[in-house]
Amino acid sequence: MDPTEKMSRQLSYAKAILEATDQAMGLSNDVIVLGQLVDTQSGIFGTTTGLVNKYGAHRVMDFPVSENLMTATAMGAALTGLRPIIAHQRLDFMIYSLDAIANWLALWRFKSNGESAMPVTIRTIVGKGWGQGPQHSKSLHAWFAHLPGLRVAVPATAYDAKGLLLESIFSQTPAIFVEGRGLYSMLDDVPEEPYRVRFGQAVVRRSGADVTVVAIGNLVPVALKAAAVLEKDGIDVEIVDPRTLNPLDRKTLCDSTFKTRRLVVADPAWHSFGAATEIITTVVENLGDKLKAKPVRVTLPDSHTPMSMSLEPEYYVDESDVIAAVKQTLA
Amino acid sequence: MELSHKTLSKSPRYAELSLDGLPEGKAITLFRQMLRLRRTEEALLAEYHPAEEMRCPIHFCIGQEAVPSALSQLVRPDDYMFSHHRSHGYYFAKGAPLRELFAEIYGRATGANAGKAGSQDISHSKSHFYSGAILAGAVSIAVGAALGFRYRKSNQVAISGFGEGATDEGAFWEAMNYTGKQKLPILFVIENNRYATFSDQLKRQDSDNITERVRTFGVRATKIFGNDAALAFRTLSGEIERLRQGDGPSLVEAYTFRWNSHVGPEDDGANAYRTPEEMKFWKDNCPISLMEERLRESSLLTDAAKASMEADIAAEIAENFKFAKGSPFPKDTEWRRMNYEDASPLADKLLGVSAGGTFDQNQAEAKLGPY
Repeated sequence: MDPTEKMSRQLSYAKAILEATDQAMGLSNDVIVLGQLVDTQSGIFGTTTGLVNKYGAHRVMDFPVSENLMTATAMGAALTGLRPIIAHQRLDFMIYSLDAIANWLALWRFKSNGESAMPVTIRTIVGKGWGQGPQHSKSLHAWFAHLPGLRVAVPATAYDAKGLLLESIFSQTPAIFVEGRGLYSMLDDVPEEPYRVRFGQAVVRRSGADVTVVAIGNLVPVALKAAAVLEKDGIDVEIVDPRTLNPLDRKTLCDSTFKTRRLVVADPAWHSFGAATEIITTVVENLGDKLKAKPVRVTLPDSHTPMSMSLEPEYYVDESDVIAAVKQTLA
Repeated sequence: MELSHKTLSKSPRYAELSLDGLPEGKAITLFRQMLRLRRTEEALLAEYHPAEEMRCPIHFCIGQEAVPSALSQLVRPDDYMFSHHRSHGYYFAKGAPLRELFAEIYGRATGANAGKAGSQDISHSKSHFYSGAILAGAVSIAVGAALGFRYRKSNQVAISGFGEGATDEGAFWEAMNYTGKQKLPILFVIENNRYATFSDQLKRQDSDNITERVRTFGVRATKIFGNDAALAFRTLSGEIERLRQGDGPSLVEAYTFRWNSHVGPEDDGANAYRTPEEMKFWKDNCPISLMEERLRESSLLTDAAKASMEADIAAEIAENFKFAKGSPFPKDTEWRRMNYEDASPLADKLLGVSAGGTFDQNQAEAKLGPY
């Protein structure tokens, strides 16, 4: 087959997640799905739709509104050799399961001295826009990336969503898979076969010489659009997507910044103590005296999310914020 | 005898221990197991401070030997057992090697977890034994093991042991709700020793009627006098058998008492949370003494046999100390490897590598709706 033809199939981010789950369940009977309403037609924004018909209710299980127990149940099932995927309708609900995650899941391998694994994949969704407000929009990837023993994926494209999800399901270390609701309809070329995208491998989405913009999750498409605008002004931006925050591909981030000597980090999360902070620290520790400008963070304010449609645009980051930050590094 | 801590300590001494219905030789085995656990805990307790070599919190289980000893005779190697912080009895019940328990709490490389976990977080994966100090966390993980057993149509059983303190936690009730609805093969064993640290159950709960409450969730529940090892054996044996036949879940609440402080060998009596009358009742109803009397009445135990048992146990304990103290300390400082498994052989086998897409930067974000 002509490689270009092979690459021609486009899938949405939501459909890519569904396909990865479907293929994983087909590849191994050990893969099960737990989550509120995963067995319904709406299937968590279409990411689990139809799986119950294909694989049965014993593999695609609705769960009581008990997030903490759901996570622990997935963990116990993993101890018996299963590979559970949990899906949460929003990250905010998942906070009920912090005990299971922080006191048990993250440290299970450590405290068993490496003898016991818990291959659990936790899918969670960050709502954004249309009044999601302070309890449907929290973007807490940095919380989870802070915990030793967990891996955190922040896929921005359908291709990465499928590959990272398959990799996570069939790996030995638990992973939190943070999805942006705004990304679900976005299309990408997605190979049909089951493939892997490894954790800890950033990708350069756009090559450029003047400024490195590290963009996370739903700010990847925003940063790419900003780069297209800046190109017209003669500013050549390199966009790096870390794809996973833990492990973080520090080398690729540093290599890119070493080339451009200027760094902007666009992180769809609160300003302080976040992933942007970690990335800038990493770069400054490695090449502080080689930078030509102070690094800049493009983040949400240190505030909870407002509901009103008049405040949402003020609160969220858009292309103009990235453009301004890039120009600041060149001023 | 009314099974409530409100009245038990005012009751006459327990006189209902019966060897009826026990398989041949089981009573003496239960006695021996209780004695082993008691002597092991006494030895660790005595050695804890003088040497200062066990530098982790230890929640001793002296006085609570009956249930673990009964379980030790009922669990299969392929069953899974989960415990709270007072872990030694359950570790023992699952048949995990005691010398690795000793070495673990001495922080040695030969410990069950190479000195990473200590007493309250110890696990022994090969024995399918797991514990942890945050109440009810292990209760809910046990639920998942039971789900896994049912998924595989095996007749393995998940056993979750904890105290009445864990029933304050929401996770416990989530587990009742889910396992009662799903009818999972799980045995919840509550050793009700009345106090969460120093706090009386009735300071924390309106009534000490856990069994009544869990029945409303569809969980079969039985309440027993937890210092009667024969009764514990018969009850747990029946329940585990029903679970193996798919008739779950089940909860057994065993009323018992810890003789020592909540943690460590120090006396926590300054907190005045237990009365001398209550302490006396439970020491008078020592699970080992209750069984020993019945064994002697039935001519199943002689002085010579007990002395021989004590000698064997003492030798085993001495050997465990020798193993622990003679073992090296861990030197491993590869922190990442301790926390992450980077190899993923299954992904290597099942997944290929495909070239990435060419993401179109000009497409719009999802048109967001309200839900």
